[in-house]
Formats: sequence, structure tokens, C-alpha cells
Amino acid sequence: MRTRAALAAAGAVALVVALSACSENTNQESGVDTDRKASGVIATDPKDSLGPAPEVPGAVKGGTFTILRETKISHLDPQRIYNFVGLNTAPLYSRFLTTWKDDGKGHVTLVGDLAETPGVNVNNDCKVWEFKIKSGVKFEDGSPITSKEIAYGIARSFNPDLAGGPTYIQEWLADTAAFDTKWDFKANKTSLPPGLTTPDDKTIRFEFAKPHCDLPFAASLPSTAPLPPAKDTGVDLDGAPFASGPYKLTKNTAGVELVFEKNEHWDPATDPVRHQYPDKFVWQFGPDATAQTDRIIADGTDAATLGWNGVATSRVAKVSGDAGLKGRTLLEPTPSANRLTINTQRVTDLAVRQALNYAIDREGLIKSLGGDYVASPMTTLMPPSTLGFKSFDVYPAGKNGDIDKAKATLAGKTPELVLAISDDSGDQEIGTQLKNNLEKAGFKITVRTTPADSKLDDTKKKDNPWDLYLDSWAADWPSGAAILPVLFDGRSIKAEGNSNTSFINNDAINAEFDRVLALDPAKQADEWAKIDERIMKELAPAVPLYADVAFYIHGTKVGGLYIDSIFGYPAFTRAFVKQ
Amino acid sequence: MLRFLIKRMLLGTLTLFAVSLVAFGMFFMLPRDAVATMCEKNCNAERLERMRDELGLNDPLLDQYTGYVKGVFVGRDLGSAQGGWCDVPCLGYSYINNEEVSDIFARVIPVTLSIVIPAAILWLGLGIGLGMLSALKRGTVFDRLAIGFSLTGASMQLYFVGGILLIIFVYTLKILPPPRYVSLWESPLDWAAGLVLAWVALAFLFSAVYARLSRAQMLETLAEDYVRTARAKGLTKSKAYGRHALRAAITPIVTIAGLDVGGALGGTVITETTFGIQGLGRTAVEAVRLGDLSTIMATVLISAVFIVVANIVVDLLYAVIDPRVRLG
Repeated sequence: MRTRAALAAAGAVALVVALSACSENTNQESGVDTDRKASGVIATDPKDSLGPAPEVPGAVKGGTFTILRETKISHLDPQRIYNFVGLNTAPLYSRFLTTWKDDGKGHVTLVGDLAETPGVNVNNDCKVWEFKIKSGVKFEDGSPITSKEIAYGIARSFNPDLAGGPTYIQEWLADTAAFDTKWDFKANKTSLPPGLTTPDDKTIRFEFAKPHCDLPFAASLPSTAPLPPAKDTGVDLDGAPFASGPYKLTKNTAGVELVFEKNEHWDPATDPVRHQYPDKFVWQFGPDATAQTDRIIADGTDAATLGWNGVATSRVAKVSGDAGLKGRTLLEPTPSANRLTINTQRVTDLAVRQALNYAIDREGLIKSLGGDYVASPMTTLMPPSTLGFKSFDVYPAGKNGDIDKAKATLAGKTPELVLAISDDSGDQEIGTQLKNNLEKAGFKITVRTTPADSKLDDTKKKDNPWDLYLDSWAADWPSGAAILPVLFDGRSIKAEGNSNTSFINNDAINAEFDRVLALDPAKQADEWAKIDERIMKELAPAVPLYADVAFYIHGTKVGGLYIDSIFGYPAFTRAFVKQ
Repeated sequence: MLRFLIKRMLLGTLTLFAVSLVAFGMFFMLPRDAVATMCEKNCNAERLERMRDELGLNDPLLDQYTGYVKGVFVGRDLGSAQGGWCDVPCLGYSYINNEEVSDIFARVIPVTLSIVIPAAILWLGLGIGLGMLSALKRGTVFDRLAIGFSLTGASMQLYFVGGILLIIFVYTLKILPPPRYVSLWESPLDWAAGLVLAWVALAFLFSAVYARLSRAQMLETLAEDYVRTARAKGLTKSKAYGRHALRAAITPIVTIAGLDVGGALGGTVITETTFGIQGLGRTAVEAVRLGDLSTIMATVLISAVFIVVANIVVDLLYAVIDPRVRLG
């Protein structure tokens, strides 16, 4: 799982922005759909996993779709991809075991991609999973994709040389976080990791020591992309991945340009989500967000172009204020949720934590962040894009907080709290905003500035010396299972490297986690929303703040672009170039 | 001449050695963890430690340094996590870009050269030309205009001039494509079209200094006795000014030009950012921002090479320009 801050440290751009030619911006001045709810299921009907994907209205074939980005994409090797740009580029040239059907408005269905269905829970205990591979799926050289190549792809993700990608499936198979010592890929290249078998060319089977009901979700990440062993070039695969999707990489000028052209061996009849409208997808690296925005506003040679880094902060007012540009923007909330974490080891008084929730001025905070085009308020721990999400506010206090209610909850106490803020200039402003906001309710806030480099690691230490800090979480799939137990199961607290940065450890809640995690994934969704509300009510381990908002601009000839509901970034599966 | 050259090159090598030692010590002693950037998510402490071992990051600093130097001169095996054998000149492996650092530089150096060399020709020609002419036409309208032009240029910032040029020629008139780098060998026309704004912007800014400097130098030289003597003994204006005065006036300009070009090669980051082109400057800044030690190290070394080479060239030019200078 990823935290947004870790990504930022790695150079991924933190601010998300988005937009679509056909987006229906309904409510609110800014047009961000803050009431958007996710609805979705795991497909039970194998028909859902069949291709071809329904035609996109108005879509035409041909043209070159260009994407501008400031810096190159760090990994193209599917087994190493784990940042957003990679996750949304990979579907162009790679296929996975499962994938999401997504309308870009939060309605998602998990379907089989290379597999005929999103997985069979063989004994209904989530310990044994089987996937049947579709017929007619091929690599870019025309050779067939079988369960063997998919299994090899998963096996090579055990190779410590190929670090960077998700590790769920490896850890589940090996039943330990030290999966690469439990099974040494380099010494066993011709065999498969423990628990992974391919009884025949059409079947791949996972056997886990413990139940892992989230496997169908985890299998939608690019690390389940197939690869023939003969085509494994180790770390060099990053420069020349072997395609199974509708496009193949035909030119890679590292750091300058990527050119993807049609893969004639991809069969739309096997693919439930992807299209092959443009002749080419071209990534160009170099221009920063401002240059991207200016070029796209000017249109001209950039009419079929998207700026991946989003509308530059300095251009938000211009773009949002120009009615002529509205049809060329995408604006959506993303699944990236930000919260003010309360260190419950230090702030042991529940009333204090509840008072913080009453006092928070979300509108003021969002203003200091840059406004409605940057952030959208949240009162729940799970973002609205989570399956089964229910909107609730356990501590209703309006947009600007209820200072009186907070004071009443504190009952005359004036808690002295230490707020840790990173030394990034942006965070400094947020620190001042929060201090001024909370002190009105009677808190005494000391803002401690700490180096941005190490802040994330330091807040993850159990004995960190702070009471409050900002945290963010973007789950790898929109299930409460990828959010709540990760952030709030106290049994996993270690000396450092904790995701449970509130350090709560409540037996009743932990038992609830176990109960729901053992349910069939399709039945879990509503349960997670209930636990979310219960955690907020009984423990108040954090103040939910806001979801990042995606705000993007594209040229006049771009069609079919949408902000995906899983990661909150532009997705290209339906993109086309208007002629 | 040859002796001078060898002497300077030895000295240059020594300088580079010193730079490499200091830079290596500085950067690799920093509390940056290269491994953490390699595997920023889901890496447990045990796994990180194993990677550090495999990459030799736990070795004594001196061993790491000798390994690095060895790589530069004979190549070395970086291990399968870093792409295996790394050819001469091996500058290490970038965890951020996932490629050998020498490959990165092979890509970005031509970009930076393509920006700086044509721009330097432009700014030197324009600056020295304007300066000389206004010195000869001192007090005329031309002189005043030229001085005004150079004052304007000297007081501008590149991101401002660049931004204006972009708005006019790319976004509004749309007569130039958005700036980008295309290899000169691939398409000379696209190469020039993609970079011409950067050349013009740089030339406008830099030529100002040269115009003012060369005007002042030329005026000083023209007032020298030997110029008057040359004219008195019957040399034509063009011979007296061109052959005698110009040579003397240009020596200090060459010194500054050498430093400027050397510096520009190592530091075009503002130009590259303004025009959205990925060259040496931005690569360096990105590397610093992300803690990409091998790339930072290589940037320092390569920038030092530029400066050292530029200085040797300047010294050689002295001998050509000024007959009083004897190398040896």
C-alpha cells in the first residue's frame, strides 16, 4: 500500500488533478462532485469479463494521443510498477489476471482480465484460489498467453533485483514479509514459488497458509502481468516491456519520449475494458506543469494532448475561470484521503480527541491548501470512492468547525499538544492554519517543524514525540480491507514502520477486523462502512480532513479520457483522438 | 605549446581528482539512504539491510571510493540489481532513473551542448559586434541604442524573457513548435526550431554583458598610444583597429567567455526549466531533490570537466590572440 507522502518523496507528483471532456460537473461552484459515492461489486457473471468493451460514444480510430509529463516514468516493467503514472500507463501495453470496469464516476466492477472470472474461491475459505485463463490471449509476438507465463510473472516478482512493485501476493504465498529469502527466485528460475501452481495451461492456482480474501483485488495490480521466461531481461525489462495489451512500446528514448503503437495480436474480443482507438500513444517528458498547462490552453499542435502533471497551481484561477476551457477539464475527487492523525499513546483522553474533531475548520484548511480544485472535505476515515462507502459525520460541526461544542467537550481543559509539520513551505502554512484554528477552541498547539525527508519515517515510529501529524493514505484497491485494518489494527504495531500511526489497539475493533476480513469480499463492503463509523465514534483516532482533488486540462481533440475511480488519475483505456 | 598543454592537462586531472574526492566524501557521508529510494514502499528493515550489503553501501567509504574510481577507468560489476557489468566510464547506477548514470549523461549532454554552443556563438557575436561598433561610433544614436539594448538585457531574467518569447511565438502566433530537443543528426530543422527560443533568450541576456564590456575595452584600447602610432604611421582604420586594437581589447573578454560557457554548460537549469527541456541542469537539480547520489556525483565531476576544459581552451586562445603571450 502506498502513502501519498512516500510517493512525493520518490518524485511522483503529489497534487492530483483531473478532468474529462464528457464529465458531468453537476453540483457545487467548483464542480467537484463531493457527494460521489462508489458502488461496485466483484463480477459473479462470467459474461462481465468478456470482451469487447462497449464502444465509447463518438470515438473514432486514428491519430496520435500525446501525454506530457515533467519527468520520466520510473518503471515500465509491470512487476516493478507501483506509482500512479505507471499504474495507469501499464494497461496500455499489459494485461493482468483481473481488472476494473470503471465508469470514472465511482461505479466499478472487478472482472477477469486474462482470467475468465475474477477468481474462484475454491473452498470458500479464501485459502485456495483458482483462475481459468481465457482462450485467444496473445503476446505482441503472437505467442499464446497461458497460465505458465502469468505464473512466471508472479515468480519474478520474488527477484530482489526487481524491487519496487507491490508485495501482497508474494507475502501471501510465502506467508512471511521476508518472501525473497523464503523462496530464492535466482536459484529456482525454472520452478514456482510455494503455493503457486499451474495444473494445466489454462489454470493458475494459489494456495495460501492463511485466508486472503483480497486476492481478486490484489490480482488487478500490474504485478500479475504475464511474461515468457525467455523474454525476461531482468532490470532491462524496464526499458522494453513485452506487451500483452492493445499497444506495444516501439520507441523508448529514455527520459525524453515513449512511443506506443498498436499491437496487432491483441484481440478486443478477449478484453472487457481496453480499446485501441488512437494509432499511437506518445509520452513526452520535460515540460513542467505550467508549461504543460500553457501549451494545452494554446491548443494548436497540442490539441490531442493531456498534461499529466495537471493544471499548474498558478493557472488554476485562469483555467477554472474560463468558461471556454470548461469542456476541456477533468475535475474529480480522488481516493487519496488525508487525515490529522492523533497519537493516542500520548493523547489518551477520548474527550480531547473528540474535541479536536469538533473544532476542525475544514473550509479554512482547504483554502490554505489552494481551494476546491485541490481538496474536497471528508468526515469519514474511508474516502467516498471506497466500495460500500456511507457518508456520515460523527462530530457534526459545519464547514468551519464548532468552537463552542469543542470547548464544551473539553470541559474547561486546555490540552497542550505538539503538532509535527514537515519543513516544506506548503506544510508550514497548513501548520499555522491548524494552530490558529485549534487554539480558538482552547488547545495549546506547539508546531514542531521536522525535515520533510524523514518526517514520514519518524511518524511511523512507535515512540515518536508528537501528538498530531498529517497523514495520507491511498489504498491499492477500493476496499475497506485495504484501509481500516492497515491503519487501525493495533496488533501489528512495531517499533517503527507503522501504518497505524494513531497507535490504537482496541480488542473489540480488532475482532471486528478479523470477522469482516474472513467474509467473502463481495459481502465485506457494507461492514467496513460500519466499522469506520464505530472507530470514529468510540476511538476518534484521527480527524478526517480532505480527499485530494484531481484537476486536469487536455486539448480540444481529446476524447474518452476519465479519472479512474481506483487511483484517481487519468486513465487511457477509452481515450481517442477526435478527427 | 605541447608542453603547456600536457602540463595543463595534468593539472586539470589533479583538479578533477581533488573534486571527486571532496564530492564523494561530502555526498556519500550524507545521511541519505539510496536503498530507501529504491524501494520506497513496503520494504522491511531486514530487506533494506540486505540490499545495502549487496550494493556495497555498508563497505568503508574508502573502498566505495576506490570502487567508484575503478569503475570510471576500467568498468566494474554493479551486481544484477543494477544492470550487471557497467562499461567504462562507469559512473554508477541511478536508482531513480533505473539506468546507468553514464547512459543518462550520454543523453543529456548533447541536449545541453545543443543549447549552450549555438547560444554562445550568438551572444558572443552579437555582444562583441555591438560593443565594438558602438565604441567606434561613440556618442552616435547607434551607440545609445546599443547601450540601451544591453542595459535592458542585463537587467532581465531568463524565465521572464523566455516566458515572453514562448507566449509570443509558441502560444499566440504559433509559428514555432513547443520547445523540445530533437537530435541534430535526426533532423537539423527540428533541432533548430525546438531550441531557437532558448538560444535567443540566452543570447539576449548574455550579449548585454559582452556588449558593455567590449565597448569599454575597445574605448580604452583606442585611447592607447600604440593605436595612435599605428594610425600615424599610415595604417588604414580597419587595419589599425581590426588587427591591433581589437586583439588587445578582446583578451579579457575571452577570459570571461570561457568561464561563462563552462558555467553555462554545467548550469542551464533555468533555461531548461523555462523551456521544458531535459538537459544536464535539470538532471542535476532532480538528482539533488531526490537524493540520487550517483547522479549528483557524476554531475559535479562533469561540470568540473567543463570548467577545466574551458579554461585550457581560454589559455590556448590567449596565445593565438595576444602575441605577447607565450605558452610554456
